[in-house]
Amino acid sequence: MRQDRSLLAILVFAVVYAALSLTVTNSYYQLMMTLVLVWATMGLSWNLLSGYTGLVSFGHAAFFGLGAYTVALAQNYFGLSPWISIPIAAVLGGIAGLVVGLPTFRLRGHYFALAMLAYPLALLYVFEWLGYQEVSLPMERVHPAAYMQFSDGRIYTFIALVILVLVMLVTRRVERSRFGLALMAIKQNEAAADAAGIDTLGWKLRAIALSGMIAGGIGGFYAVVLLVVTPIAVFGMLVSAQALTVAMFGGVGTVWGPVIGALILIPVSETLHAELGAWVPGIQGVIYGCAIIAVMIAAPEGLFWTLRDRFFKRAPAAAAEAPPPSPENVVAWSAQRPRRTVGDEVILDVKGLSKSFGGLKAVQDVSFQVRKGMILGIIGPNGAGKTTVFNLLNGFLVPDTGEVLLNGRNIVGRKPHQLCAMGMGRTFQIMRPFQRMTVADNVLVGAFVKAATDEEARRLAADAIRRVGLADHADEIAGGLATRQLRLMEIARALAGQPEILLLDETLAGLGHGEVDDVIAVIRRLADEGTTIVIIEHTMQAMVRLVDHFLVLDHGAVLVDGEPEAVTRDPQVVEAYLGKKWGAYAHN
Amino acid sequence: MNTKTCGASRRAVLAAGLALAASAITGEAAAQQPAEVKVGLLVPLSGIYSRPGQVMRMGAEMAVEHINAAGGIKALGGAKLKLVQIDAGDSTEKAKNAAQRMVAQEGDLVAASAAYLSSFTLAVTEVTERAHLPVLTLSYSDLITERGFKYVFQTSATAAAQAETALPEIMKLAEATSGERPKTVAIITDNTAASVASVKPMKERLLKQYGLELVVDETWTPPLADATPLVQRVRATRPDMLFFLPTVISDAKLLLEKMNEFGLAQARIPVISFGIAVAEPDLLKNMSPELLQGVMTVVGNWGSKGHEALIEELRNKYDEPWMTQNAISTYGDMWIIKEALELAGKADKEAVAEALRSMDLTSGPTKYFPGGRMKFDDKGRRVDASFTIVQWQDGLPVTVYPPDLAMAKAFWSKK
Repeated sequence: MRQDRSLLAILVFAVVYAALSLTVTNSYYQLMMTLVLVWATMGLSWNLLSGYTGLVSFGHAAFFGLGAYTVALAQNYFGLSPWISIPIAAVLGGIAGLVVGLPTFRLRGHYFALAMLAYPLALLYVFEWLGYQEVSLPMERVHPAAYMQFSDGRIYTFIALVILVLVMLVTRRVERSRFGLALMAIKQNEAAADAAGIDTLGWKLRAIALSGMIAGGIGGFYAVVLLVVTPIAVFGMLVSAQALTVAMFGGVGTVWGPVIGALILIPVSETLHAELGAWVPGIQGVIYGCAIIAVMIAAPEGLFWTLRDRFFKRAPAAAAEAPPPSPENVVAWSAQRPRRTVGDEVILDVKGLSKSFGGLKAVQDVSFQVRKGMILGIIGPNGAGKTTVFNLLNGFLVPDTGEVLLNGRNIVGRKPHQLCAMGMGRTFQIMRPFQRMTVADNVLVGAFVKAATDEEARRLAADAIRRVGLADHADEIAGGLATRQLRLMEIARALAGQPEILLLDETLAGLGHGEVDDVIAVIRRLADEGTTIVIIEHTMQAMVRLVDHFLVLDHGAVLVDGEPEAVTRDPQVVEAYLGKKWGAYAHN
Repeated sequence: MNTKTCGASRRAVLAAGLALAASAITGEAAAQQPAEVKVGLLVPLSGIYSRPGQVMRMGAEMAVEHINAAGGIKALGGAKLKLVQIDAGDSTEKAKNAAQRMVAQEGDLVAASAAYLSSFTLAVTEVTERAHLPVLTLSYSDLITERGFKYVFQTSATAAAQAETALPEIMKLAEATSGERPKTVAIITDNTAASVASVKPMKERLLKQYGLELVVDETWTPPLADATPLVQRVRATRPDMLFFLPTVISDAKLLLEKMNEFGLAQARIPVISFGIAVAEPDLLKNMSPELLQGVMTVVGNWGSKGHEALIEELRNKYDEPWMTQNAISTYGDMWIIKEALELAGKADKEAVAEALRSMDLTSGPTKYFPGGRMKFDDKGRRVDASFTIVQWQDGLPVTVYPPDLAMAKAFWSKK
């Protein structure tokens, strides 16, 4: 239903725009209508990579310029019509995306943005060095239409509109598929996405290739519109900036943002230039800049999101707080910890695991076993190496020595998303929900690793949501959830990947007293249903009621390994790390 | 209801009456005053190229004033020229947009002058060609008139043609003033379109043709960060002359000052440039005139002998110390358009274009361009378009070639 509506919106937009362009007879306004579409498409290209993955690119001019030069040079040297060379330009843009992406994705954040900045600048000099300072597309007098040359400017607008609508449909499809969810997951937390089974490098490469294709194609079309290609005009900083500006202004991470941005910014900038340029030369830039600053202050996430939040806000989630799952059980469990029977089958076998960071021995010779169906609690003071152990287990870090056997197979050296596919799920100490996505979509991200089809993924996600007791909240936006629900949602995301063993990193942190009991109840039920659980915590109180077995770490080494009763009575543990109070609690 | 209708109709009658009266008045005025003929000036008035664009505007404004003061277009009953200024901005896209705006919204233009930078001119003329609007340009790029366009007229010799014809003249000049024929040359150029277009034919064949050995061949991308390695190479090889082609004034300043540091200034090694950058007034504002002494440049046009009154007026009116190509060529463009209107006999762009194609004059606007003839060939290039050589002498860039325009004699210092 929602999908149909958004498709309809795109079609309505296209029809209205086409109808509007039919009524425009002034060739200057026609050119403007074409350029709006060109820059909207370029903004969408930028958005596809940077908007969804959050990896800001200052270098989209590289793809754009390659496309423009492909079309210009193909016509000059091979007499190739833009009808053929624009698709070629798109393919070349895609290849350029891969070539750029492979080395550059090793960088993150600002470093990625800066590295991207270098590509168009380098290409600019390369094309100057090659002697292509000015390339003009020859005027075809015999068969102009065969070379995409029309005296009626509206035809350019229609071609641009077809390209834009295609790109919008592609973007929309990406947004709604596992591709888009993977990119959004990368944007929120690349590590978490990796741990949730997403092949982050693979998806990022696909994104930059597709983005490069779009930029290359529209760059080729731009050459047809401008008819003159110069390095500055197509590789210049302004091109990258324009793509970024329309997307940021309109709203990133949505198909409509760049379109809205281009619809407003391009005509405004041009009108200012036309009206004020000859009057007070240069004043147009000042006014334009100030207007952008003002709008960005008022709508920092872009117009689309700000307007949507204002006019289409969903009912706040907190209003209808659902009761915690199975309250009667919670009471029983918190009263006393029933003994659970755990099988003998060892699912995870850790042998002599060590990891140093320079001189700091974060983990030293840690060995332990996890049996199927067990809840293992790893405790220890801050800095004891608990999270490092998790990072070694799920592949974020490679141990210096030791091995980790998952169902008898050594998994050292494998990537997090591969381990996730092998059945190692994990959550994080610091929650990174995908704020703007619904609970269902948040969990869906974790389901793709095990699901062949989107259909199956949705089923797995729904199942995971049900298991943690969030079924009533499935359609709410994650940004509106309470901490307890977010913790449960994170567990559900890990669960959706059908893990055999689930690593929970401080899942109970930051929860109130009653909330801890709710979450404990859920974890116990998961264990009862057959999921093996390893949980890190430094608060002892909740753990003694939850786990079957304790592993106490200190300074990266195992201090005690044993049953809760034994551990909590161990004077070493009690006095040095936990305090006498907790020991007394365990005795009761 | 009834009164409302009545009121409305009364107002309508009143309005119609007023309109009638107004049209009667303007009609009367039109009959008394000759009509206006609109001419376009599409140059960068904002952004990094605004300075040359503004100088072009000065030239155009002066010309329109002079033409109108001298009685306007006589063939059109003394119709006055009206200059329509359009800002080409600072990018090719903006220039093209401006051109599209010009042809769409100023439909009654008969001709235009555009657009300073050759890549802007290329984009602008793609639009004007399709709109059949004749455009005069001072841009050098050969490409402008190589596209088979019928509505573009290039008043400057193209970059390649300038290099071709200037080199023998430079050799002659050197021989005449120093008694020796140069044998070695260094070329230091930026990689902008205009510079590359000048250097390319030299490297490809002209140097060989004139027996010149290329001892230094360096290219940089503006802005130049450090001129030291370039000047070191020049000092090490001691060429008989240096071809130095900057486009950006700060680059010119940097290298010339570095030459001085290395003891090569005052034309100890003769420096010859192509283009306007080394002779811009702005350069003198930023460096001492001694460092410029003797530096020469080959330019498509320059305010020279016979233009003294114009130069004086430009100085008084706009505070411009001398008349660069941007001012004199744009000034001349307006006179060419005026002449074309006289020939066409009507204010129509097609007729003006045809008049430009068939024009063949040795008087009138001819005196504002070197070469002695005002005729355009099939490509739209000015036939016999010559060039000027300008040399810095005592803080002033004066024309030293061609002889009929020269305001001073060139000097060629010895090593």
